Amino acid sequence: MEDYHKPDQQTVQALRNIANRLRINCIKATTAAGSGYPTSCCSVAEIMSVLYFNTMKYRPEDPKNINNDRFVLSKGHAAPALYSMWMETGFLKESELFSLCQVETSLEGHPTPFQKQQFVDVATGSLGQGLGVACGMAYTGKYFDKSSYRVFCLLGDGEMSEGSVWEAMAFASYYQLDNLVAILDINRLGQSDAAPLQHHLDKYQRRCEAFGWHAIVVDGHSVEELCKALSQARHQPTAIIAKTTKGKGIPAAEDKMGWHGKPLPKDMADGVVKDLQARITSSSKRLYPATPVEDAPPVSLRNVRMPSAPSYKPGEKISTRKAYGMALAKLGRYNERVVVLDGDTNNFTYSEIFKNEHPNRFVECYIAQQNMVSVATGCAARDRNVVYASTLASFFTRAYDQLRMAAISESNIILCGSHCGLSIVFSSSPPSPRGP
Amino acid sequence: MNVTVSFLGEDGPSLMSLEDMAMFRAIPTATIFYPSDGVSIEKAVELAASTKGVCYIRTSRPENSVIYSSNEDFHVGQAKVVYQSTEDKVTVVGAGITLHEAMAAADMLKKERIFIRVIDPFTIKPLDSKTIIENARQTRGRILTVEDHYYEGGLGEAVCSAVVNEQGFTLQRLAVAHVPRSGKPNELLKIYGIDREAICQAVRKMLSGSANAK
Repeated sequence: MEDYHKPDQQTVQALRNIANRLRINCIKATTAAGSGYPTSCCSVAEIMSVLYFNTMKYRPEDPKNINNDRFVLSKGHAAPALYSMWMETGFLKESELFSLCQVETSLEGHPTPFQKQQFVDVATGSLGQGLGVACGMAYTGKYFDKSSYRVFCLLGDGEMSEGSVWEAMAFASYYQLDNLVAILDINRLGQSDAAPLQHHLDKYQRRCEAFGWHAIVVDGHSVEELCKALSQARHQPTAIIAKTTKGKGIPAAEDKMGWHGKPLPKDMADGVVKDLQARITSSSKRLYPATPVEDAPPVSLRNVRMPSAPSYKPGEKISTRKAYGMALAKLGRYNERVVVLDGDTNNFTYSEIFKNEHPNRFVECYIAQQNMVSVATGCAARDRNVVYASTLASFFTRAYDQLRMAAISESNIILCGSHCGLSIVFSSSPPSPRGP
Repeated sequence: MNVTVSFLGEDGPSLMSLEDMAMFRAIPTATIFYPSDGVSIEKAVELAASTKGVCYIRTSRPENSVIYSSNEDFHVGQAKVVYQSTEDKVTVVGAGITLHEAMAAADMLKKERIFIRVIDPFTIKPLDSKTIIENARQTRGRILTVEDHYYEGGLGEAVCSAVVNEQGFTLQRLAVAHVPRSGKPNELLKIYGIDREAICQAVRKMLSGSANAK
């Protein structure tokens, strides 16, 4: 393992300043908009600062660069925290942040990939889905692109109750996604009540370890501890379990129920901002993110076509599910960025034909359809792959929220549902008429 | 009728997908492919690769005949007329297994000197309203839809929406009306009224209704 180089005091102070500027920006933006989640942003201030200005390798002027480390804000209601980081890099202007949520603005209340939000790969806000998407991105990075970029996903403790999070946890360790880091913002409080495990960080740690992850507990407001934890490479996916305080930096709201989704009234905001500004020391050190390793292969999905016409004869008998499997294998033969996912039904959907011919591009997602759809969305992000995901048609109902969010994310995933309708009863059909 | 007994049907409705078209129709950006034979599914797989937005391909278990030649051209939002004559009285729109049932019904009705036009929509969303409306005008505005799906939100309702403003159109829909029970394979399509006999019956009824109206 590499030696860890502690950041010097100047860097530490600069990171603290960025965190406090994040708090100021989020409070001002949400107060101006009259809506938003400032206390949810305040708990992740140090986490975001360290990620964006110490840990992640990316080109700030080119958010969609294929070599960049990826970041998924699963706790999407902390969107102003994300925007604040892109303001800090210079990509966004201050005026854009303070027009948050207005009709003309390009900055939505929760992240969406529309217009100027090029730094957003997938829409989030419906909780519990970001980690599955991050798994798809990490799987692509490790097995399809075979490159150095890492994937970071920030989750809240409230959303850890979603089963889809644990589907993703199981997937990540099964596929040894050691390029994936999940940061859990354990700020104790949910929306209307405390999260069930409150500040029992040991319980979170044991659950993550039980799911095959390496889990590190840190003080989520200590820049030094975060820097160290995030720099450690592992042979498994890593969970940074960050003990934080909801509303940190807003004395009246720190660790208190009743502040979720509440912007500060103007007078209060002014006072808090003044105090936070006083904590920002003038640091001579300007921080820049490290440049990424440039080893992701260039990919174009423009000409994904069949090499030849279908070879069936009129009158020949075949089910559309079997012909689907054959078509996939044929398309995959001549297009190496076609990838296929299935939920332990490949012998029913006939995606097994693709699997047998192109095993390295088939991803078994097991009986976890919500995760399969999220992983598909992650694999399709940044136009890295043409993704087909199949299972029995009825089982897609389970993943309806993930499908809805894929559409909002402007994703191009392709789903195939087999065994549609009553006709699943037939394997051979009633006698067919002559063709036209 | 010679069908293989299957455990899936006798297990009941939990594996049957009778609401998936409704589900995907409600998703913005979605394209829904419902190809009915080997040639068109291969084309659908290819088209989906270059179609923006979420794509859904609905496939079936039963084996059916290939009905298109391999050089047939397919496009998103383009329906195909698979059965027609100059004397067609009703336009029947079906997909997947019900397209094949509709073609079988066309053969049966021909013997009674009743002629129907059969359309394969290929994509349920976007629906080729233009082709459906143009053909229905030639069958005096009579349309019959038949689908292996619940009434709500499927092919029938999509066609309804497409023709709602057309003058003089009559639309009948055949679909699955109730949660299906376990049943013998060769009975289910018949019990739920989406087989070739149900189509023939519905066509005769539409025509006798028109005749009485005169």
